[in-house]
Amino acid sequence: MRKFAHIAPRTIEEAVSALQRYGDRASIIAGGTDILGKMKDEILPKYPEALINIKTIPGLEFLKEEAGVLRIGPLVRLEDLAKEPRIREKYAALAQAASRTASPHLREMGTLGGNLCQDIRCWYYRNPANRFPCLRKGGGRCYAIEGDNRYHSIMGGSVEGGCYAVHPSDTAPALIALSAEIITSKRTLKAEDLFQVDIEKTTVLDSDEIITEIQVPRPAPGSKSAFLKFAIRKSIDFPIVNCAAGIAITAGKVKAARICLNAIAVKPYRAVKAEKAILKQRVNEQSAEAAGNAALSEAKPMERNGYMVQIARVLVKRAILACRE
Amino acid sequence: MPRKNKPVAALKKYSCPYCRETFDAFEAIKSHILTGHPTESLPEPEGIIHLTINGQKYKFQVEPDWTLHYLIHDRLGLTGTKLMCDRGACGSCTVIVNGRPVLSCMMLAIECNGRQIETVEGIAASNHPLIEEYVKHHCMQCGYCTPGFVVTAKALLDRTLDPTEHEIREALGGNLCRCGTYPQHPKAILEAAKLLREAGTR
Repeated sequence: MRKFAHIAPRTIEEAVSALQRYGDRASIIAGGTDILGKMKDEILPKYPEALINIKTIPGLEFLKEEAGVLRIGPLVRLEDLAKEPRIREKYAALAQAASRTASPHLREMGTLGGNLCQDIRCWYYRNPANRFPCLRKGGGRCYAIEGDNRYHSIMGGSVEGGCYAVHPSDTAPALIALSAEIITSKRTLKAEDLFQVDIEKTTVLDSDEIITEIQVPRPAPGSKSAFLKFAIRKSIDFPIVNCAAGIAITAGKVKAARICLNAIAVKPYRAVKAEKAILKQRVNEQSAEAAGNAALSEAKPMERNGYMVQIARVLVKRAILACRE
Repeated sequence: MPRKNKPVAALKKYSCPYCRETFDAFEAIKSHILTGHPTESLPEPEGIIHLTINGQKYKFQVEPDWTLHYLIHDRLGLTGTKLMCDRGACGSCTVIVNGRPVLSCMMLAIECNGRQIETVEGIAASNHPLIEEYVKHHCMQCGYCTPGFVVTAKALLDRTLDPTEHEIREALGGNLCRCGTYPQHPKAILEAAKLLREAGTR
C-alpha cells in the first residue's frame, strides 16, 4: 500500500479533532476489513493521507442490557454478537445477521459500526485503480445503468444522482427491524435514518463524526425476529438479497410488524407495504405470501436483475413465517 | 450530492508526549510535564510495537502501511503463513491473534502492539495432533491453503474440544481450497479433537 500516517487516538475527542484537522483526507479504521481493501485496490480518486485508528479508544466494545435497552459499542466484533446467547434468544435477527456476515475470520475482525458504515460493493465502483470514475465518486455517470447490473437496485436509483448500487450490510436491516437507534458523537438517529447515498460514503455521518453506541430496545413480549440471506455461497459472500423481520403476535394476530429488505435498493428498504399487509392478520402461508408480493409491488428491476424481485418476495414471506410461534 | 465544508480546528502548538494534552505556550507545557508526569519514562516513538509471536517476544519498528502478514512473512521470515487474495477473501493468511483466528493481510502491523500471535510454525512446533491428522487424512494437495486451514482449526479446537461436524464446516467457511480437499478437513479435525479430549482425561 502507499504511505499514510497512522493516528492512534486515546479518546473520542482526540479522534474527532484529528478528523477535523484532516477534513475528508483521512479515514477511520475500525476492523479494517473494508478500508484496507479499498486502499489496496486504490479504487477512489484520492488515497487517504491518514488512518485514524479508533480501536485504540477504550470503552467502545461494551455489550450490555440496561433498563430494557441493549447497548452495543460500535467496535463489538460481529462474531461476538453472533455467539452471545442473550442476543440469539431475544434479538434473534441481529445475531442471525451477524452470524451470516462474511466469513468467521472477517467476523472476528469486523465491527458492528463498521458493518453499518461500509461502502458499496458495486463492481464498477470497486474496480481497481479507479477504472470507472463513476457518479458515486463525484464523476459524471453510472456505469451500471447500461452495464452489468445483475446485483444492483431493483427499487430504482438514488433520487438526485442516479446511483444504482445497493447497500451491502446484513446487520443494517436487522437493526432497522428491531427499531434500533444509532448514537454518534454529535446526535442520535433512528437506524433507518443513518443511511444515505453520498459521494464515497453510505451514511449521513459528517467526516468528523463517529458512531459511539448502537441501542436496541427490548422487544415487546410475544415478539420474534428473524433474518434471512440469499447469496450464492453460504460463507464469505455479500447478500444478493436479505430480509429481516420483527413481528409481535397477540391472540394469534399480528399486532406490530417491522420488515426490512436490503441489498435490493440504494439504502436498506423498509417494506412498509408488507407491514401494512400483514398487520392484524393471522400469520400463514397465504398472508405471508401476500405481504411478500405487496413489498415488491413497486419494484423497478433493471435489465439483468429481475430475478432479485422473486427472491425478495420469497425472503419476505419466509422471514414473516419464521417469526410465528 | 453536495459536499460539506468543515472549518479546520485551530491547532495548539505543543502536545504532551505522555497524555497528548495540548498547549499554546511552552511554559504551560513545561510546568504540565514537571507536575503531571515527573517520573514517567519517555513514550516510545511511533512505529515501535511489541509482539509475542509463537511464545517469543519481539520488538519491531514498523511502517504504518505494513500489514501484519508483511511483517510476519517478509520481515520475520515466518513464511508458513501464505498470501493469496490479499483482500480478506480466501483465509490463507490466517493467524491467531489473542485467541481469534484473523486475516493477517487485513491487519496493519502497527495496530498489533501488545498482541499474542500464533502462526502455523508455532502450532507445528508444539506437536499439535492436527498436524499428524492432516497428514493421515490427506488434507492437502498443493499445500498452499493448508496453513490457513490448520490455524483456523486450531483456533476452533482451542475454544471447543468437541465440535460437531456442522460447527467445523461453519468455522472453516472462510478458508478456500482450489484443489478441492474440503471433504477431508472435518475428518481430520474430528479425529484431532478426539485425541485432545483423550489426552486431557489421561
